[in-house]
Amino acid sequence: MPALVELDLCYTKRQMILFDRVTKVYPNQSIALSGLNLHIQPKEFVTIVGSSGAGKSTLIKLLTREEAHTSGKIIVGGLDYDTITPRDVPLVRRRIGVVFQDFKLLPNRRVGENVAFALEVSGARSREIKRAVPKMLTLVGLAAKEGAMPDELSGGERQRVAIARALVRQPKILIADEPTGNLDPKNAWEIIELLLKINRFGTTVLLTTHNKEIVNALKRRVITINRGRIIRDDEQGRYTLETPTTLKEPKGGSR
Amino acid sequence: MMLQLLRVFRTGSQNFIRNMWLSTAATAVMTVTLTIVIISFISNQALTSTIKGVTDKIDVSIYLADSTTPDQMNAFRARLGQDENVQSVTYKSKADALADYRKQHASDPKLLQAISETDNPLPASLQVKTKDPKKLNSITAVVNQPQNKVLLDPTSAPSYSGTRKDTIDRIVRFSNFFRTTGLIMSIVFIIISTLIIFNTIRMAIFTRRDEIEIMKLVGATKWFIRGPFLVEAALYGIIAAFIAAALAYTLLLGGAPKLAAYIDVKSTIDFFRSYPILVVLGEMVIGVFIGVFSSLLAMTRYLKL
Repeated sequence: MPALVELDLCYTKRQMILFDRVTKVYPNQSIALSGLNLHIQPKEFVTIVGSSGAGKSTLIKLLTREEAHTSGKIIVGGLDYDTITPRDVPLVRRRIGVVFQDFKLLPNRRVGENVAFALEVSGARSREIKRAVPKMLTLVGLAAKEGAMPDELSGGERQRVAIARALVRQPKILIADEPTGNLDPKNAWEIIELLLKINRFGTTVLLTTHNKEIVNALKRRVITINRGRIIRDDEQGRYTLETPTTLKEPKGGSR
Repeated sequence: MMLQLLRVFRTGSQNFIRNMWLSTAATAVMTVTLTIVIISFISNQALTSTIKGVTDKIDVSIYLADSTTPDQMNAFRARLGQDENVQSVTYKSKADALADYRKQHASDPKLLQAISETDNPLPASLQVKTKDPKKLNSITAVVNQPQNKVLLDPTSAPSYSGTRKDTIDRIVRFSNFFRTTGLIMSIVFIIISTLIIFNTIRMAIFTRRDEIEIMKLVGATKWFIRGPFLVEAALYGIIAAFIAAALAYTLLLGGAPKLAAYIDVKSTIDFFRSYPILVVLGEMVIGVFIGVFSSLLAMTRYLKL
């Protein structure tokens, strides 16, 4: 317990996400993360890049507690993940908004209902839901589509619904896992701009992407992961992967 | 908390409607099961009261000639009462016999007309109940004593149920067989519907796996995810309970006149008439139990949270 208090004093004020020598070994003995250290400040916009299997997905799964870490320390928003019991997991997830490449909307519910769903789950009052949902849809630019079904929307619009759902509970952290993977360049940019806007409002944004143009244009902090470790961490990073195919390309990022 | 519960119920009923085909199939099986359960209950009740009626009957009826004087009758009666195997002897006068006859044939005016007060052909009788209806030798001996034999009605010989006893035994055996069959059928169908609902919920979990994943993702608790499946399965039971009860009432009340000729359904019908809510509620408890039990079973195996 003293250790936790100490950590709180040191980090919680300054760190939104703290990974201290975090290792994740899956039951089949494959090592997804090995001794990963990661510090993300509140209100930061951080992009995480890395080839498939580098450990990005595992990193996100640890944050949302879909997986538990094998060793090391994870503290998110002052909450030590070692103290989480299975009963707490839903509560942990309610503190973090997540957006995925495949949107993960409920196909048989209207746009408004999809956004409302995140609030219903946490036991919000109906009056509160009625007030919050249109507000959030307005923020993502879909105020007119509240009654539409997801399959009536374009990919970009669907991702906006997903973002609205992730944000409706006003989480401190928004994780966007390949949010532009299924979108054309124009829609992709609109989503990134939306994420930037959300970040300006004060939400910490964690973005993973394979889209080189986006990473390079963002000029924000870029963390490169390879084989379960951070190999680059640049304040105004560019898209680079330390793999043979990308090594051939000219590198712009500074270490 | 209440709000969450309400939402779980709403989602459960929405899912029930969305999976109309599966829900219909599951409800149909549940209906068949509950109908079998209730019919087996009805027949159990009816057979029990029928058998009670048959075995309660008088074992020996000794018809007396009209010329018998009260003194003679009393002497005869006292002599019978001394027999070890006799439990009770009651006297049924000619008037009593006529009253019973009228009660029995109240609905048949032809038979009523055949007998009138002034010319009552029905004999008076001594009704003997025995301890063991199979051991009638000593009673027969008393009846056949010369001083008693002259008192007997010449037209109707004493009736001994000892000979009926084999038939009664056969009825008892038959109805026991019937009861066992009903019980076995009920159990078999409860198992069948448990399996089918288990499978229905399993399929529902499978088709809704994306939805379940999203629910987990946005921070739904275990029971918020499980709840709707329980509600859905309970709904099969509740709806089936109403249908099964309606079927049972139709069968019982519609078939009562025909059934009454063979078995005693009166007390069962009285029960069903007086406690319809109890009947439906009883069915519901069984149905909801089957539904909830099998969906819990399916969830522990297929819904990993």
